[in-house]
Amino acid sequence: MDFEPTYTEEQEKFRLEVRAWLKDHVPASIVHPADPIDLSYEQYQMRRELGRKLGEKGWLWPTAPVEYGGGGLSLDYSVVIEEEIDNAGMTLPPYYDSGGKLGGASILVWGSEEQKQFFLNKIFRGEVRTWQLLSEPEAGSDLANVKTTAIRDGDDYVINGQKVFVGSGLGCDYMWTITVTDTEAKRHENLGWFMIEADLPGITIQPMDLLISGGESGAGSGVKNVVFFDNVRVPAFNLVGGENEGWKVATTHLELEHGTGGRISRNWLVDRMFDYCKTTQRRGEPLAKDPNVQDRLVDIYIEAEITRLFNLRNYWMRHSGATITYEGPQASYYRKQSGLRQATAILDILGPAALTYDPELGAGEGHVEAYMRSALIALHPGGTTDIQKVIMARRIGIGREVKEKAGALA
Amino acid sequence: MDLALTPEQEMLKTAVRRFVQQEYPKDTLLQMAATGISCPSESWSKLAETGWLGIAIPQEYGGEGGTLTDAAVLFEELGRGPVPGPHISSGLLGGFTVLAGGTQAQKREWLPLIAKGERSLVLAVTEADYGWDARDVRLVATHDGDGYRLNGSKSYVFDGLSATHFLCAVRLDDPPNPPLARGGKGGSVGLVSVPANASGVTVRSLPGFAWNLSEVKLDDVVVDKADLLGESFDSGWDAFQEAAGRTIPVLTAYQVGACQAVYDMSVEYSRTRVQFNMPIGRFQRVQDHVINLVNQLDAARWTAYEALWKLDTDRPAADAIHLAKAVGSEAYYQACNHAHEVHAGVGSMTEYGLTLHTTASRTLYHYLGDPRYHRRLLAEALGL
Repeated sequence: MDFEPTYTEEQEKFRLEVRAWLKDHVPASIVHPADPIDLSYEQYQMRRELGRKLGEKGWLWPTAPVEYGGGGLSLDYSVVIEEEIDNAGMTLPPYYDSGGKLGGASILVWGSEEQKQFFLNKIFRGEVRTWQLLSEPEAGSDLANVKTTAIRDGDDYVINGQKVFVGSGLGCDYMWTITVTDTEAKRHENLGWFMIEADLPGITIQPMDLLISGGESGAGSGVKNVVFFDNVRVPAFNLVGGENEGWKVATTHLELEHGTGGRISRNWLVDRMFDYCKTTQRRGEPLAKDPNVQDRLVDIYIEAEITRLFNLRNYWMRHSGATITYEGPQASYYRKQSGLRQATAILDILGPAALTYDPELGAGEGHVEAYMRSALIALHPGGTTDIQKVIMARRIGIGREVKEKAGALA
Repeated sequence: MDLALTPEQEMLKTAVRRFVQQEYPKDTLLQMAATGISCPSESWSKLAETGWLGIAIPQEYGGEGGTLTDAAVLFEELGRGPVPGPHISSGLLGGFTVLAGGTQAQKREWLPLIAKGERSLVLAVTEADYGWDARDVRLVATHDGDGYRLNGSKSYVFDGLSATHFLCAVRLDDPPNPPLARGGKGGSVGLVSVPANASGVTVRSLPGFAWNLSEVKLDDVVVDKADLLGESFDSGWDAFQEAAGRTIPVLTAYQVGACQAVYDMSVEYSRTRVQFNMPIGRFQRVQDHVINLVNQLDAARWTAYEALWKLDTDRPAADAIHLAKAVGSEAYYQACNHAHEVHAGVGSMTEYGLTLHTTASRTLYHYLGDPRYHRRLLAEALGL
């Protein structure tokens, strides 16, 4: 076994190249607001610009196929890029974008050649950012219960309905969504999966007022929105996977969203908390010397380690072609639940200083306060923890008569 | 990055699994538990014949010279049984301790015997004031001619009944020295090998929910200077610490295999046990138990194997070792609890076999330090 990528001399040279490139291209003026809702338009544009430059080099989506604008790099090279981006304090992509990882992966599996050429090049090069539009007022955990309709009319589909908990702040270029394409057909056989231009007439975006947006993406998604479709005409070309085949397409991005993609990046929360407790004095000595604080810091550390190992395992399983069953939703479930347990530990350690971003009396420059909110709200995006358990049970082979298989990824 | 076993390790895994199925079927394990004989000579010699007992002992000392990960593959399968016997206490911990602190002569003489299963060298560390720190060692050794005279007792000695020799942690009483502070190393706590049949040694198996735990009394036991591990009294405790660090992740791999068996049992039962006209696995309350169980299993698995990888590749591993034991011991304990919730009354029936694991999980929870103890050491290793 080897828990670390081993790099060839060539890959180490590549690392230096990436590091130097990032040094030249990540603007020094990039800041990371504690709550992503505070990301300014200028900050967002800097990230988009960085994304486009990464895209030009094929480093935005390093393992995506070259013919569709990806980097075509092997796992080891992509890990090098991710590690260096991570060290530069950024994420890949450097802004909220569900297109490359989830929407793009779905098109890669289910799209026609023309669709791949048209959509994927834009996505993988960072020319567009996309939002996913899945939940509706009547379709949360029960996604197949969507009510938004897309009815064929000549060469177009006409979309009507409402999507909730969508996207991020500051707009997007494309939206991908799942709608009813046949109002008469059976559940799961009545859906269509679309990639839609965001500026079509009839689309209205309205921000939601939430405790926090949830923090599914490392880059932070900021605000969430309601999106209304009022007789929006979408060319039939934008339907991916065929009419009434939408559920099949959805299994791919749901699989990834449920944690099967895996991650290898480190957990900044642990470093932040350890540093804070070592440098903050209480009653004349560092917080970290208090045995009760030590116990809770160790709790935080252990939770982070197990989460890291589950993500690492999934990353390796996905890229080595191992057969994945329950591991995706397991990682998602564990990450979310342990995140909330970590928040409790932080509250124990810091007391009410964890609950305010007051510059004098708050802890961690507002990041802790934002985490106290997001650890709770992050339980739900991408499938509630209860839904993750339902899927795990099916994959383990006890939830249903027939053991469920994981969604197709490539 | 490659989290797969090597083809050789996969072959070993298959071979051990077959061996355990053939030589240690449930009925045999139940019989061993019922009679209190954890190490019947017939099964033990079959296990010894495979050469696996010396899997991590270097070839020059009669072992197989495998990596710790190789050993973990073996012990994960033994854990599925759970196969009892002094393979962890002697084959791993005893062997590693001799390797870390023994004289050249002791290594040459003792290690091949341990590797062949002809000597079971069982560490006897803990006493009535239970604990795994040097300060908890009170058993007194006084100089006696060229050797030592030992008086005192060891409590909760794992595999005590199957030992041919005890490697006792003893405190030299010349001059009298106070107990060490917590975390203290070396000092004058040393290790002395005592034959189990030496005059003055009595071994008593502890009844109840304990798994192969004994009390070992030493009453005016005289040992030779050659029985002291290493050249000097001081080297023993450090050797034990180093050996424990190498044993722990392999021990947690045993717990992983055990969790896997408990998980497989619970999944099968959830699929086949029918109540309210459907398999109980359809009930989300039951699914919760199985999911908690598999989360414990996988947490134990990956913390164990990462620690093994770090040790095998000479990376700093102190934090990973403590993490693995804290997580692995908790996992096996909780896995059994969840399995009992899945099985309800059936799980409590001895003949079903789950209680073999439940019993083992409690004793292994404490063996070489419980989760709270390792969390404290983890805090130290992380610089807190």
